[in-house]
Amino acid sequence: MAIPKLFFIFLIICIFFFSTLVQSDSHFEGFDAEDDDAEFEEAPIDPASLRSPPSQSLSTDPNPNPTPSPPSDLPKSTPPTPTTFDFWDDDEFEGLPTDEQHPDLHVPITDPKSTDNTNTTSSQDQNVKPQPRSFTVEILCGSFLIMFAINYFTGKKENENIALSWASQFAAKDSIFEKNFSLLGIGDGGDDTPLLLKEGQTTFKFYASGRRYCQGLLATLELKSRHDLIARIYNMVVPCKDEITFEVYMNDDAMDHVVFAMAKKKAAKAMHKDLRDLQRFATIMSPPTSRKWVSDDLAVISESREVASDLITDALIEQVFGDKSFEKYGKGLISVHFSDNHPGIHKKVLLFKFVLPAAKNMADMTRLVALVPYYIDLIGRYKLSSQARSKTEAARQKVAQEVQKELRNIQQEAMQRRKAERKKLMEEAEAKLGAEAIRKKEAKERARQMKKAMPKMKMSRGA
Amino acid sequence: MSSHGNDPRQPSAAKPYVAPVIAPQDLPIDYAGFIAVIFGVAGVMFRYKLSSWLALIFCAQSIVNMRNVENDLKQVMMAMMFSFMGLMTNYFGPPRPGAKQS
Repeated sequence: MAIPKLFFIFLIICIFFFSTLVQSDSHFEGFDAEDDDAEFEEAPIDPASLRSPPSQSLSTDPNPNPTPSPPSDLPKSTPPTPTTFDFWDDDEFEGLPTDEQHPDLHVPITDPKSTDNTNTTSSQDQNVKPQPRSFTVEILCGSFLIMFAINYFTGKKENENIALSWASQFAAKDSIFEKNFSLLGIGDGGDDTPLLLKEGQTTFKFYASGRRYCQGLLATLELKSRHDLIARIYNMVVPCKDEITFEVYMNDDAMDHVVFAMAKKKAAKAMHKDLRDLQRFATIMSPPTSRKWVSDDLAVISESREVASDLITDALIEQVFGDKSFEKYGKGLISVHFSDNHPGIHKKVLLFKFVLPAAKNMADMTRLVALVPYYIDLIGRYKLSSQARSKTEAARQKVAQEVQKELRNIQQEAMQRRKAERKKLMEEAEAKLGAEAIRKKEAKERARQMKKAMPKMKMSRGA
Repeated sequence: MSSHGNDPRQPSAAKPYVAPVIAPQDLPIDYAGFIAVIFGVAGVMFRYKLSSWLALIFCAQSIVNMRNVENDLKQVMMAMMFSFMGLMTNYFGPPRPGAKQS
């Protein structure tokens, strides 16, 4: 999620950046050198065209007396040519039009003065000129930075508030987790141990342990990047939600062969495609006609019909997943995923993913959070029927064999590759040596083999 | 809903939290820092102040999103240096060759 997001931002900024580059072309002197050369090359071809045309000089000339100016301009056109070339040499032929104006403006006033003088006055002119430059870039960027800083502190506070309100709702005294787990928080059980572990500005972790059927529970709160103004602006375009993920690590003896998932229809299809254990063991189930089933929005992925109907009890349908109650209480459900073949360190894992409500309405997700201990108990007690069990066992064996086969294939491939490499190296070495050397080597090898055979004979004789 | 008879808690089975070890290459890539370096270098090379400013902004984003200080600080510091260098040369350094004439 974060990768395309940032690239998107980057692209926008790049486009913006280069568009401004093109607009501010004149600032890039070094890069226009070729164009300037071209101008310069054109210049000697027709010097008369570079000189200001008489009509223009008439209009720009401040001299109220128009008649003397054309004659004064024409004879002077021969002496100023070297001076203008001096200009070009000094300043990389920049700004031809200003060059045209300067001699026109200065020559009538400071008639007898040397070219040096005009040089200094023009440079003064240029020193004065960049003064009224605009500070829009500085103002924009500076104010953005200030806003960024302010937003950092407010957004950080906001995220902390959400995490704390979640913790006080579900992990404080007499709350769901306090009643279910003996160890809360990341510490070793003292009273002062912090409940939440903060990782970065958006991730908070809550750990609990000491309950029957499971080794531990890790809840990860993934909040929006409220502290980051750029991400915030991006989220205005592509909205996202605060999420919480519960991972329950089950005891190895407390979970039978269960592969089960439930999510909104679209997400369920994606899950079935992406997650390996679901892909291997489970199929998307059609809703049974004989009994009440979950809301139409939800899809169930399960290894067998039996598992699905045992894990979705009537009580659950009534309270959370049924048509009516789902609208009311289950809105925050993203996915539920139980597997005894989870990739990773822990094999038997229950995963719950919910949307976090706003900090004020944290109680809205009470029923969803209550699903967690409910399912730990349900799955901890659950035993498959012998018929189903034999089926699932066969499936797991098959998969295990496949995995082994794959492993073996990979190993063999690696070995073959290594062999081929060694052979290639040998061949190369041989190619380097001449034919003579090869013959010598062969003779040596034969001698060695003879030697090898000799002691054997000795041994046999000695014995 | 979760009440299944007696107390489900088992203090004896409690295990303290062990933080999972994440290899440095598995950490999410710091794109903001990367972009900041690019803009910073561009700002210095082309003497283009907007680029230096953008580098500074992305530096701020990178710092704000930093998870462990030791690992990421190097890149951010580099980007910061570049952006500051770009800004310094822009405002206090010798005028650009183009500024003389334009």
